[in-house]
Formats: sequence, structure tokens, C-alpha cells
Amino acid sequence: MARIDRAARGPDSAVRSRSLDAFHFLDIFAASDARMSVLVVLLGFLAGTLIILAVGRNPGGMFAALLQAMTGWDLTRGVWNIRYVGEWLAISTPLILTGLSMGFAARAGLFNIGAEGQYIVGLTIAQFAALYLPQIPVVQVVLAVALAAAGAAVWGGIVGWLKARFNASEVVATIMLNYIAFFLSRWVTMAIPGANTYKTPNLPQSAQLDAGFLQRLTNGSNLNYGFFIAIASVIAFWWIMEHTRTGFALRATGMNRDAALASGIKAERSAVTSMAIAGAFAGLAGAIVALGSFGYGRVLSGFDNYGFNGIAVALVGNSTGFGVGIAGLLFGLLASAQPLMQSRGIPKEITLIISGLVVVFVSLRAGFRMLLAWRRRAALAVMATKAESETVQGEIDA
Amino acid sequence: MKYFFRAIVVALVVFTIASCGGKSKTAPAVKQDVTVRLLTDATGIDDKSFNAAGWRGILAYYGDTWENQSKKGTNYDWVTAQTQDMYIPNLKQASDEKYDLIIVTGFTWADALGEVAPLYPDQKYLIVDVDWLDAPNVMQATFSEHEGSYLVGVAAALKAKAEGVAAPKFGFIGGVPGPVITKFEMGWVQGILSVLPDAQVVDYYANDWGKPDLAKAQAKNWYDSGVYAIFSAAGGTGNGTIAQAKEYRLRGKGVWAVGVDSDQYEDGLYTDTQSAVLTSMIKRVESSTEYALQAAKDGAFKGEVITFDTASDGVGFSDRNPALGPDIVSQVNKVRQEIIDGTVVVVAGYAEALAKGLVPANLQASDK
Repeated sequence: MARIDRAARGPDSAVRSRSLDAFHFLDIFAASDARMSVLVVLLGFLAGTLIILAVGRNPGGMFAALLQAMTGWDLTRGVWNIRYVGEWLAISTPLILTGLSMGFAARAGLFNIGAEGQYIVGLTIAQFAALYLPQIPVVQVVLAVALAAAGAAVWGGIVGWLKARFNASEVVATIMLNYIAFFLSRWVTMAIPGANTYKTPNLPQSAQLDAGFLQRLTNGSNLNYGFFIAIASVIAFWWIMEHTRTGFALRATGMNRDAALASGIKAERSAVTSMAIAGAFAGLAGAIVALGSFGYGRVLSGFDNYGFNGIAVALVGNSTGFGVGIAGLLFGLLASAQPLMQSRGIPKEITLIISGLVVVFVSLRAGFRMLLAWRRRAALAVMATKAESETVQGEIDA
Repeated sequence: MKYFFRAIVVALVVFTIASCGGKSKTAPAVKQDVTVRLLTDATGIDDKSFNAAGWRGILAYYGDTWENQSKKGTNYDWVTAQTQDMYIPNLKQASDEKYDLIIVTGFTWADALGEVAPLYPDQKYLIVDVDWLDAPNVMQATFSEHEGSYLVGVAAALKAKAEGVAAPKFGFIGGVPGPVITKFEMGWVQGILSVLPDAQVVDYYANDWGKPDLAKAQAKNWYDSGVYAIFSAAGGTGNGTIAQAKEYRLRGKGVWAVGVDSDQYEDGLYTDTQSAVLTSMIKRVESSTEYALQAAKDGAFKGEVITFDTASDGVGFSDRNPALGPDIVSQVNKVRQEIIDGTVVVVAGYAEALAKGLVPANLQASDK
């Protein structure tokens, strides 16, 4: 019906088809989720640039800061310091892991708002393990990280079990458990002898993730072994999701729970498995921050927000292993560029606005794709009309 | 995919070079005065408290005001840390950028600064509210909060006496217990008891700096049970006390709140001219930042612990509320002079004050 209407308009449609050509390059982005993510990120930065211009600052400062965070190259002062690259990768590490946490549950059709709580459980267990396990080099730190992941897996698994057993909403359950984890962490950490309301005694060297060679390589940045854990987790995510029976069952449950059930997949077990694995990823993030960034255990005074930011990372990364890895690097870039931007007179809120806009644009992805599809159909209709009229013309000429 | 990333990097480089090319010509190459950076936690300089006070000191030093920060970006600026693990990177960044002075406020920064300061031995740092770091390039500023709190305690007790309140009770609301907040409580209690030796004192810790609802509920309880004035040293939590005092004073109850850190007179206004904040214990964090900047300029900067007390006007009380009256103000000023002269000595720690019999034994103050 619509096609006929448009075709009937005649001369006007030729103009339209020319203007449509200008939008053709956008089709490139619509071809895959990954390309669409690139587009929304570019849109986010574009909007950020416009906002900086609107408040009367020089957007060049933002790009200079991003470049410095990415390469260590400070154009403003003309010096190069690779430490900034190290800091970028270091701050990206927990974001990648909490992104994987969110993404893993999302693939199984669950919305894990609880990465923050699972992160806190991991962080707290890691601190306890650092203070109380025997101080054997390598062994202690490996044990501490493993225990943190296991504890957070249990914490996440509880939600999966509640979901499977009582059909409790995982959203509500994880939000509640975030607060329980937070206050529990404060309570037990303050009970450690020698702890005050802010921190515990110092953690032993044998429990720390510091990597001397990485520090030398990056001129003393905070980059540590945690980064390798993140890379390994990205690969593990991909392997479990794409190459194992469990992963297949999870994805099937996520796409259509009833169909999965009908074909003999145990959807209940999927809920527990996916939430437990999601929890383990977030727990690793907590352990890495606790043992990689601080020489003492912290009594948390508020959320670190890595868990919540993981939601955005997973969204932009399309909940795929490598997508989340790249999205985590992007959000880490924004986080590590923020002080560099402020140093150049760009308000600190800009990075938050950009990451917020990216998330909004990602959510608009479906709508954007519909728009492009509609334009493509319209273009086809125009071409069809043109071809038709040319044929008719040709017949008349003949 | 590769194509897109390459495009992004190229765009970044082009944008940056384009924008910096113009900038380098206009940027002043000659430094006229010392440069300083303030590093803050996630709240930034708008916290109406600690960071704001440090920032005010910087503004005052350069002759700027909050509304007109003309030398921001050339002489001074500030950078926030969104998360605690950014403290060290931000300190290193500021050191790389070679500011004459780098300022951090609050004990949460102590560990990070203790780690970074030795790496940049030529860089000058100032930390406020910390006195236990050991580095020759770190100036540490502490305040005699117990002295200022003593003064507001005296003021509140004198007001109760002047109004002829029978058996007045006094309350203290703290944030998270610790040695710094204990100084506030000890000073307050000693000040009250110096005027009214038989007065009853109650205390409560919210264990949080940002929960005004807790302080409000506690204040309501206490005011209902006959407490006359409440001093809150609890950051944002303390705003609940002021809110409750305003409510009750509007209804004609004779109760007071006492402000902390900065003059909270205006926060307590419940009519155009009447404030529920009788007085405020003033801690001039701005004195310390101004002092360090001056020292950095004069070459007098040393890695030392500097205590800002009553004598150096680092702490004091506010006489802005007309309800206080000239009589009480002059009496408190007399006590202030006695503290400066050393005839009145205020004890800061709970254990010591208890041992000397200066405070009651049932308080929840903590020395560690």
C-alpha cells in the first residue's frame, strides 16, 4: 500500500532517491551488531564534542586526552610517557570482567544487576585470603583469586537458584543482594583486628598481583597480572558460550526458554550455571582491584560502581566475549582519560555524558536499524518505479 | 572492523593536532606565579565541605572568587578521582605535569600519597588532616578541632544558662567514629561542662557521612526528651540535625543545632532573619592551602606537620547568629583568648580526657 503511494508521487521520488544515496554508507553499520556498536560509540563522541563546544571549551582537549590515555603521547607538553597506557589497561581490567559477568547472564536471558554485589564479595574474600592464608609466594595470590571467584560464584548462584526454584525475579534479588554484600563486607572487614573504619592492616606482598615486569614495561603504572586474568576470561567466555554443550544450553534458554525446555534442556540448571559463572567473573574483578590496586584491605564506604558500569560494557559489547573485551577497553579509556581531560579544562562530567549517551544510543540500536530498513525499502520502491517508468518510456519511444 | 579502528585513530590524531596547533601559540609560556592542583575524591569541589574549603583557600590566594575563577587553568585547577584506585594515577599525573604544589585533602589520600611522594622527591605536596606521613616533600596540616569545639560548647552552655533552661541536656552526633571526630566530641563536652558542670551529655554515631535521615530521627528523639542543643560533626549526615532544629524552632520549641567546619548559619535559616544554627565550629581548611601556597612561593616550603589552632586562627566559632547576643560572644571570646594564652587546655583524646575526669565515661568516642 505504502509502496504504491510513494510510487504515485512521481517526480518527487527522484529527488528522494538522490538524498537517499547520502545515507547509504549507514547501511554499512547496520550490517552487524559489532558495526552498529562502532557507530553508536562514534555518535557518543560526536555528541560529546558538540556539548564541549556548547559550553565554550575546546574539544581538542578531549581528543588530546584520549590520545594520551591510549598512547601515552602528551601533545600539550610534547612528552611521551607509556605509563598512561598501562593505567588505561589497568582500569579497563575490572570493567571487562564485570562486563563479562553481565554479558554471560544476558546470553542466558537473565538480567544480572548484581555484578556489583558479586564484585564486593570477591573483593572481600580476596582481602581476607590475603590477610589470613599462609604467606607463600604465588600460591597465596592464586588461592586468594580462586577463592574470590568461587565465593562470588556462590553469591551469584544463589540468585540463579532462587530463580529456578521459586521463579524469583533475578533483577530484584540481585539488587537486594548488592546491599547485603556491601554491608556484610563492611561489617566483617571492620571486625578484622587492627582495622579501623576505613582500612585493614597492610596486605602481604605474597598476596599482591603486582607484576614487576609489567611495571617496568609501563614505567611504573598500576598494570598487574589481573590484565592477563581478564584476557583469559574473555577467551573462556567465548569458549564456554560457543564451543561447549553448557554454552549451547544457556544460549538456547536465553533465546526461547519454552523451546529450550521442550527440546530437553534443563532451563532451571541453566539459570544457576549462568548466574554462578557471571558471579565468578565479577568476583575476579573484585579480587583484582583488591589485590592489584591497593596495598591494604578497604572498608568500603560506597559502591565502586564497577559492577554497574559492567552493564553498559556488556550492552556495547553485545554480550559476546571479544565485544565485551573491546567495550571494556573503551570504557576504561574514558575513565582513564577523565583526569587528563580535566587537566585540559574539560569538565569531568563529559566522560560520564559520553558513556551515558553511548548506552542510550545502543538502546536505540533496534530503532535505528528499523529506520535504515525502512529507508532501504523506500529506496528500492523508488528504484522500482524508476525502472518501471523507464521501461514504459522505452516502450513509448519504440 | 580494522578499517573503522584505523579511521578512529586517524580522526583522533587529526583532531588533536588541529586543536593543539592553535592552542600552543596562545598559551602563556611564562609562569607569573606558583601553580597548584587540588586532587579530590569523587565528590569534587562542590561538596560544601572539605574540598570546597581547600578550593576557597586556593581562590583566595590568587585573588579570585568562586564566581570569578579567572586564573583557573593557568595557575590552578582541580581533578577528581571517580574511584579510589584512581588516587595514585591522578597523583602521578599531577606530578608529571609539574605543578609547583599538589594538594590533597583527607586521610583517605594518605596511603596513596605515601606511595607516590618518594617517587617524585622534587615535587611539593600538601595533605590536610594527616600527620603521620614521613616524607621530606610533604607538608601535613592538622587542625585543633577540639579547641573550636570547646568554644561552641561554651557558647551553647552559656545560651542555655542565659535562657534559664532547667537541667539542660546536650547532644553530639558523629559520622564514622575515629580519632578526628573524637576531637570534636571531646572539645564540645569539655566546653559545656566548663560552664554547666552538672549538664547531661548524650552522643550518637551514624557510622556514615551521608545519611541526614539518621541524624534527623536521632535529633527528633533527643529534642523530644529535653535535649537543648546538638552539635553534629558528621559531614552531610549533620544536615538532618539542622533540618530537625529548624522544624522545631518554627513550632516555637527552644532547641538549637550547632554547625561544623564552615559557618552553617545560612543553612539554618527558618525565617528571613532567624537561624536554628546557634553557632558553628569553624575549621579553616582554606588557611592551610593558602599557607602552603605562600610557603611554596617564598621558598619556605618544608616537609613538616603544621597545626592550625586557635592562635593561628585555624579553628574558631561563628558569632553570626544574633540570638547569641553580644554578652555571650564576648564571654566566648574571653575563653578563646584563654586557650591562646594556655590558661585553658582542651584535651583531644577520649582516654586522656577520661583519665583526667573531664568527660563522662559512657561516651561512644573512639581513639583508634
